[in-house]
Amino acid sequence: MFVRMQSKAGYLIAAALIVLLLLIPFDWFLVRYTTLMIFIGINTMVTVGLCLLMGYTGQVSLGQAAFFGMGAYFSAILSKSYDVNPWLAMLIGAIATGAFAYVIGYPIFRLRGNYLAMATLGLGIIMYILFRQLSQYTGGPDGMAGIPYLCIGGFDFDTKFRRYFLVWFFCLAILLVSQNIVRSRAGRALRAIHGSEAAADSLGINVAQFKVKIFVLSAVYASLAGSLFVHHLRFVSPQPFDFIASVMIVVMAVIGGLASIWGAIFGAATVRILSDELLLQFGSWDVIIYGLILMLVMIFMPQGLFVGLKEAYERLRLKYTQRGAEP
Amino acid sequence: MLETKKLCKTFGGLVALDNLDLAIEAGRITAIIGPNGAGKTTLFNLVAGVYPVSKGEILFRGTPLNNMATHKRTAMGIARTFQNVLLFGNMTALENVMTGQHVRSQYGFFEAALRLPKAHREEETVSLKATKYLNLVGLGMYAQQNALDLPLGQQKLLTIARALATEPHFLMLDEPGAGLNTLEKRALGDLVRRIRDMGISVLLVEHDMDLVMGLAERVVVLDSGQKIAEGTAAEIQRNQRVIAAYLGEEEEVE
Repeated sequence: MFVRMQSKAGYLIAAALIVLLLLIPFDWFLVRYTTLMIFIGINTMVTVGLCLLMGYTGQVSLGQAAFFGMGAYFSAILSKSYDVNPWLAMLIGAIATGAFAYVIGYPIFRLRGNYLAMATLGLGIIMYILFRQLSQYTGGPDGMAGIPYLCIGGFDFDTKFRRYFLVWFFCLAILLVSQNIVRSRAGRALRAIHGSEAAADSLGINVAQFKVKIFVLSAVYASLAGSLFVHHLRFVSPQPFDFIASVMIVVMAVIGGLASIWGAIFGAATVRILSDELLLQFGSWDVIIYGLILMLVMIFMPQGLFVGLKEAYERLRLKYTQRGAEP
Repeated sequence: MLETKKLCKTFGGLVALDNLDLAIEAGRITAIIGPNGAGKTTLFNLVAGVYPVSKGEILFRGTPLNNMATHKRTAMGIARTFQNVLLFGNMTALENVMTGQHVRSQYGFFEAALRLPKAHREEETVSLKATKYLNLVGLGMYAQQNALDLPLGQQKLLTIARALATEPHFLMLDEPGAGLNTLEKRALGDLVRRIRDMGISVLLVEHDMDLVMGLAERVVVLDSGQKIAEGTAAEIQRNQRVIAAYLGEEEEVE
């Protein structure tokens, strides 16, 4: 698969993506779509973590929004109520969320399949309730406003345009790091666990430990995304971290392609563009059309958009070159 | 190399292994035979650490294995293949074998994420060694194929290459000949002898008597969890208890 990733099609997609990222904010796009792009970036960060966990290691998590929310609340509370430097708050949030994932990881990954799904689902729901109920810290269901912007030296990330680059800097860094991991010894161990736990075990792979490690990594990604999220909105409330949010992360991962790192961008972009832009004009019919589109993608591109589009491109190219070869 | 002392394994009321005393010598090909349900695969799983020992002891090169985690046993030099193959279908043939090198390399998430020189160096060694083992079993030209696209015979060879990549002292093969044709079985026999010549002790469970008798230097016969005979292939073939266990007692036949 990674050999194929390095093929021409892979390069083309990567190049197109980079061009898109660089050009978009300089045009009329800036006014209308920067916010959308920021959200796509943030969602991609969370989705990549789930791709590593679900697509590569084969472990379901229906509670990723919990870690997303933890990062958000750590950043919000520390930087607003305790005047901690936002970057430090972000770091503390990531470390604390990772440590939390580590502690719950060992008991949770003794479960498999449906039971694991249930346990992570429970985790998501519990965290959501905590965000709502710990109102002396979190502001309760109403949330809290007035969270400061991130800033480096004297440079404030106080415009959308600047935050767009900040978010995508983090997002691309995470994508690159994940890509490197997937192609490494650890990546093989993860895929081996997905392929056959018994065989992975027999090759000396510490299955439990690797599951927990990748769970921690996915939690850290989500936490960083959560921090960027609140420093962008300057507002936090429990609603973006509810059960539906966890499900949406799964949808993004599946639509983009579970077993592809770069697919996460496609998944996040598709879901966000559909729900934030394209479907608005359908009014209350949007949910039905949305569901229909997701179904069609799954029927015709069961491996997700990334692999699906790549294969479609290769089929077209093959057809084109064959026709060209005919006398 | 491997020793078991009064080894017992029970599943609920079922006694799978019953006070088994076994001593497997280094540098040899040893075969375990016996009718279905004799406890052959159970023995493999106990040595590999798939499930815990009920009673008794397993020693590997003098070290007790009873409470050691599976992955640590691999690091000590125990490797195995599975009856039902269990290749990684989400990887190429080469990647399958590279995964076998897991315990012989160290670099982790951090070095991988930042592509540090250590990761690069180790990765080069891993892929070099994996290629070597893939060539050893004669699958070099299929390196980039998906493991499950290979025919069964080659899949079985691939699992042997994957197990060899853990660089074991002791290799357990669970029915390596099942599903292979005569030609493939002959090649398998040659491969197992070559593995022995590399200094790796081989223990195999096999149903094909021609393969076993031609290959094994020592044969252990199990029946209902007990050892009923041990010796060279020729001795085993003459042993009355073995013949009875396989064909039934004369009275029962009548």
